This record gives sequence, C-alpha cells and structure tokens, in this order.
Amino acid sequence: MKKECIAMLLAGGQGSRLYVLTGDMAKPAVPFGGKYRIIDFPLSNCTNSGIDTVGVLTQYRPLELNSYIGSGQPWDLDGSTGGVHILPPYQGAKGGTWYKGTANAIYQNLGFIDMHDPEYVVILSGDHIYKMDYSDMLARHKAANAACTISVMEVPWAEAPRFGIMSVDGDDMITEFAEKPKEPKSNLASMGIYVFSWKALRQYLIDDEHTPGSENDFGKNIIPSMLGNQERMAAYRFAGYWKDVGTLESLWDANMDMLAPESGLDLRDRSWPIYARSISAPPAFLGGKSTVTHSAVNRGSVLEGLVENSVLSQNVTVGEGATVRYSVLFPGVEVAPGAVVEYAILGEGCKIGPGCRVGGTPENTPEGWGLTVLAPGCQLPEGKDAKAGIMLNRNGEEVSK
Amino acid sequence: MNGLHGIIFTYERRGNLQELGSIRSSASIPFGGRFRAVDFALSSLVNAGAMDVGIILHGHYQSLLDHLGTGKDWDLSRKRGGLRLLPPFNYKGEWGAMPYRGHIEALTAVRTYLEEIRQDYVVMMDGDLVANLPLSDVYENHLKSGADITVVCANDSFMTEDGTYFQVGEGGRVAEVFVSPHTPRGLRGLGTYVVSKKLLLELVDDCAAKDQLSWRGDVLQARKDQLNIQSYIWKGYAAQIRSVQEYYDRSMQLLDPAIRADLFCAQRPVRAKNADLSSTYIGSGGKCVNSLFGDGCSIEGVVENSILFPGVTVEAGAVVRNCVIFKDSIVRKDAQLSYIIADKDVEVLPGRTLMGHVTYPIVLAKGSKV
Repeated sequence: MKKECIAMLLAGGQGSRLYVLTGDMAKPAVPFGGKYRIIDFPLSNCTNSGIDTVGVLTQYRPLELNSYIGSGQPWDLDGSTGGVHILPPYQGAKGGTWYKGTANAIYQNLGFIDMHDPEYVVILSGDHIYKMDYSDMLARHKAANAACTISVMEVPWAEAPRFGIMSVDGDDMITEFAEKPKEPKSNLASMGIYVFSWKALRQYLIDDEHTPGSENDFGKNIIPSMLGNQERMAAYRFAGYWKDVGTLESLWDANMDMLAPESGLDLRDRSWPIYARSISAPPAFLGGKSTVTHSAVNRGSVLEGLVENSVLSQNVTVGEGATVRYSVLFPGVEVAPGAVVEYAILGEGCKIGPGCRVGGTPENTPEGWGLTVLAPGCQLPEGKDAKAGIMLNRNGEEVSK
Repeated sequence: MNGLHGIIFTYERRGNLQELGSIRSSASIPFGGRFRAVDFALSSLVNAGAMDVGIILHGHYQSLLDHLGTGKDWDLSRKRGGLRLLPPFNYKGEWGAMPYRGHIEALTAVRTYLEEIRQDYVVMMDGDLVANLPLSDVYENHLKSGADITVVCANDSFMTEDGTYFQVGEGGRVAEVFVSPHTPRGLRGLGTYVVSKKLLLELVDDCAAKDQLSWRGDVLQARKDQLNIQSYIWKGYAAQIRSVQEYYDRSMQLLDPAIRADLFCAQRPVRAKNADLSSTYIGSGGKCVNSLFGDGCSIEGVVENSILFPGVTVEAGAVVRNCVIFKDSIVRKDAQLSYIIADKDVEVLPGRTLMGHVTYPIVLAKGSKV
C-alpha cells in the first residue's frame, strides 16, 4: 500500500559509551525516565505525528529491543497496513553483510521502503530524548521543495565544535555542512533527524554504495555529496528539548532534566504522550518512614528510606534507613536498609546490600569524582562499597570507563 | 474442550455505593490505585488459563466498556473466543428496562451464547469481587471432589451487603444456604462458582421452565440436597465492593504490605488497562507517607495513609489524609481533605477543608468542584 511518509529508525548502534549499561542490550533499549526505554521517544513521536509505518534497523544485541517492541501495540504501531517492522541485516543469494554504516543500513532495506512506495522518508536515531512533530518538519520539507531537510537547533557557540554544524542562507536553506568544526561559522547543530524525498535519497544511496572508500554514513557521505550536487537542502529549526543520551553523563543529565519541567522536558504534558510497554504491578508504595522529595517513582516500587533528586523505575525497593540521592535506578533495583547511593546509575536488577555505600558527592570526593555505574544484575554484598566514579560489571568487578 | 470458561456478572446495582455506583456498574469501580474491580476477576480467570470470558452487562455499562475495550490488556482479544460482551436484549426478542432479577434470568437471556461455550467447565464470578483467586486450584478441587457445583467462600469476619452465606458439613459439602441474611452465619460466599457447562444448561432450562430467576435461591438453596455442592475456602484477601463503607475499609487494607503481597502475588499478576502516563513526581515540598500512588501523579503537598490513582495532583500546602482520590483529580493549594473518596476529575479549590470520618467517608461525585 502506498504511504506518503514512512520512518526508518537507526537502532543498531552498540552504544559503547554507555559501557556496562549496554553490555547486554542495544542503546535504544536502555531504560529512561523511570518508565520508558529510549526508543519510546522516536516511536511515540512517529505515532503522534501520524506516521504509521516504522522500520527499526537493529544489529547489536537485538533480543531485548525486539522483545520490547513486539507487535508495536503500545505505540499504536500494529496497524494492518504498516506498523513497526524490525529490520536486521540479512543474507541474500550473493551473501550479505552487517550494516556497515547508517546509509548502508538504509541501502540494505531499499526493498522494504520500495514496498511502501513512499514520497518521503524520515530518518531517525534511537538515542535521542525529545518530543518532535515530524509532520511539521515534513511540511517545511514540502514548502521548501527540498530533496533533504535536516532538523537543527541553536547551540551555545562554545559547544558548536562538538556538533555537525550547518550554515544557512536567508531562507534557512543549508549552504554548508561541517562535521565538528574547530571554528564554526554557525551555531546551528544537526540533530541527526532527516526528511528525504525518497526518489532523491534512493539514488544517492545506490551511488554511495558504489563509491569506493565511502563510510556509507549519512553525516559523512550522503549529506556532503547532496550539498556538493547543489540539491535543495532545507534546515528545520527545532526549539524544544533535545538530548543525545549516548554517554553516561548525558543519560544521567536527561533523567535529572525530566524531574524539572523547566528544563523543557515535560513528560507530564498530555498533548504529546510518550508511550511505553507497561508491566503488571501494583501502585508505588511510600512507607511510613519514607522521605521522598523531588523524585520520580513508579509502580511496583516500595520505598521506606530517604530518596532525593532521583529517578526510580518500576519495582524498585529502598529499605528503611537507606539513602538514595541524585541517582537513576533502573527497574528492579533493590537498595537494602542502611545503604547509601549517591550520584549513581544502577542497572536493572542491581542489589545493594545492607550498609553498602555506592558513589559519593562531588563535595566529598577530593579527586577523580564521577558518576558511579553498576551493570545490570550487579550485586554488592553487605559491607562492600563502590567508590565515586567507578564502574562495576555484572560480577561486581571494577571495569574502566 | 478442556479448561475453563469464565462468565462475569456485572448487572447488579448497588445503591449503597452512592455516587460511586450511580454512574458506573460496580465492576468498573476504580480500586487499589490503578485497577478496576473487574480486573481481579478477569486476571484470576486468565491466570487459570481461561481463554474465553463472557461479561454480562445491564445498565450504566459505558464505563465498563471503555475499560474493557477489546480485552487486549488481559490477552483476551483473540481471533477465536476471547472476550465476549453480552449486553441485554441481544438474545431475547423482547424489550424491557427491568434489570435482571437474578443470575438465572441473566443466563436465560444469553442462552444461545451458553450453548456455544466450547469448554466443559464454567466459572461464574461477580464483577465486584476484589480477590486474586487461584482458580486452577479451585477447578482441580472441583474435579477431585466430584462436586456438581463448587462455591468459593471466605472464612473471615467480613460481611458484605446482599451476601450469600454457606454452612458446610462433613467433607466441605454445603448443608445450608443463606441469601442476604440479616445476621450472617457460616462462610461468606464470594459469588464464584464452578459448574460443568452441561449441568449449567440443564439448570438454566429447568429454572426457566419454572419461571425461577435466582441462582442463589432457586438453585443453590432449593437444590442443595439433590446436588452435591462443595465449598472451597479461600483464605486470602477477598473484598466485595457493595457500599461506600465497604469500599473505603477494604481500600485502606491495601496499605498493609501483607495484604498487598497476597492480592498482588507474583505468580498471578493482576492485569489492568494502562493509563500511558509518566512517572509519578514527588516534588520538593512533597511529604508522602504510608500511601499508594498510581502513575503520573504530581505531589507537592502532604499525603498520608491514602490511595491516589493515576494523574492526581496535590498542590503545595494541601494535606490529604486517609483519602482515596481517583484519576486526574486535583487538590489545590492549602486545601485539606480527610476521609474523603474523590471520584474522577474532582477539583478541590484552594484552602477548602473537607472532613469525613473513618465510619463515614464522604464521596465527592465525579467531576465535582468543591
């Protein structure tokens, strides 16, 4: 069935800068904000924007992600035409390869896109936290009669060298693109969200595939070669909250932002819901001796201790006399009575024994302060500590960041 | 076909539920911070492997229909079987506004549906029963005991409105049945019955021929000597939500961890519709103790010994004590509530004070502005 616009979601990245958190799962499957996974954001944006066909390109440790997406029903992406499709690399008659780059991943799925015969394709990443109406971006793309539209946001000039920077003319048409420039000419950063006219992109993908030495990457190859060929490239200015949560620090930051809607990340706004697969669990219980402030709590949790400035996922328990401050606890974490957790990210099912100390505040850590990160399933027995800034794997052994 | 078929009765009106029950059938009363009463019967059935469940409806069932949808939250949205909604007037030719006067009348009205049941055994339940019953165990006992009918009972001191009570003799066989007695005696019936499809059809036809309408009176009571009626005693939590006081007392029991562990046991998850709200946020001024919170609440005030459903807002300076607050209600700043049951979308304006008593909780009707 012909579709006007479909979305392709790049979810194959390993997320190596999330270290132990992505040891067993792809980055888009990492929990966020107490009840979500990162991928809930682009999927919900799609469904809220009226895009009902989404291809999810997976490659690295896809089990968790695939089982999470399932039929796509939580995002209303289980329609009889379209819906969400998991697209792993595959073998053809002449063999096959892993996805070599972002552009190659789309190239390998030309057949999937052609099947839907769209006018436009939206390319999305699976590691961004933001709410965006893609239909508005598509309207901009059509109005500009562009071959490609790239969503951009203004960043502080000092930070511009960390991004892909776009220079634009008076009509916000892109004139130049520089990947991480030392001396940026503009402060408009690419957000890694693209709308392409499919006919144009299709040809560029084929050409790119046959270009020796190409890295088959959108930012490095496709966009520069389109610019080089004088294609019409529009910028779409986005002003809301957007964060790449590819690092431990940015993941922690974004979780803290969620607690303060002033940050721009207001998840309680009902006009643009973010959907998630739900679990069966009773409501959260805050016990008689609990003190919980400026924190997010979720169903299945039983809290008896002190919780401050933290994001607690589903089925978390915090025992009596325990303290959790400035931390992000993934689903099923147990903090035993008397334990202290500060400035930490605790992976799914971590068990912190009675009296353990995990992490520390910047003030109390003279040198080498950083977030303390525990891999999913890590168990800290009674009396064992995890110093500020260290990272422990599933077996409780220290690993380097 | 082996296995169980579920039938849930939701037609009964309970006047003592006041405004909580006047806008919805008691099966769809919100309970326990994120559930509706019917979730417990549905989950008990599904957890026992029942794949087909019929819901008998009569009057004020819009709220229940909204909640049930296609049944997908209980895995009952199936190609074959699954959830079957049974509104009145669908099977009987005649029209009428009278509610069903008994289970038998309700079953007679859906006689064609009964014939199509593909399982050999049927579990009949009430939509207002809040209990996480191990129905596969009840079923096994039914088969083992050779009973014609098994009734599930609670052996506790709780009473319920319009209850059914059983006196049992040797080996658990029901010796006497009391319907809606003034002074309850014996075991409290939980409105849950296991019976073979074959016997159920015979009983329905026989009763219909004799113009008998009541399952409790005309079957259990009248035929207790001819039929082998066995009891199954459930020792866990079992509430029947039939009056405001009962609703309040039984809700507050959930603040006890042992009761929650029993009602929400991990082996038999209670499934419910998902509200798609974000995490609950407790603000810097929030002071929450001994309370349950659904998703998406926003708390800046004091909440003590209370149950809050999803999306409830308690503003700074407001105090909510010993209350049950339904979905999306708002308690504005400096308002004070105690012993209040606030239905959905209630707004309590700044500074207002409302107090009920533990023996007289006050209901605020849906959408009211105080």
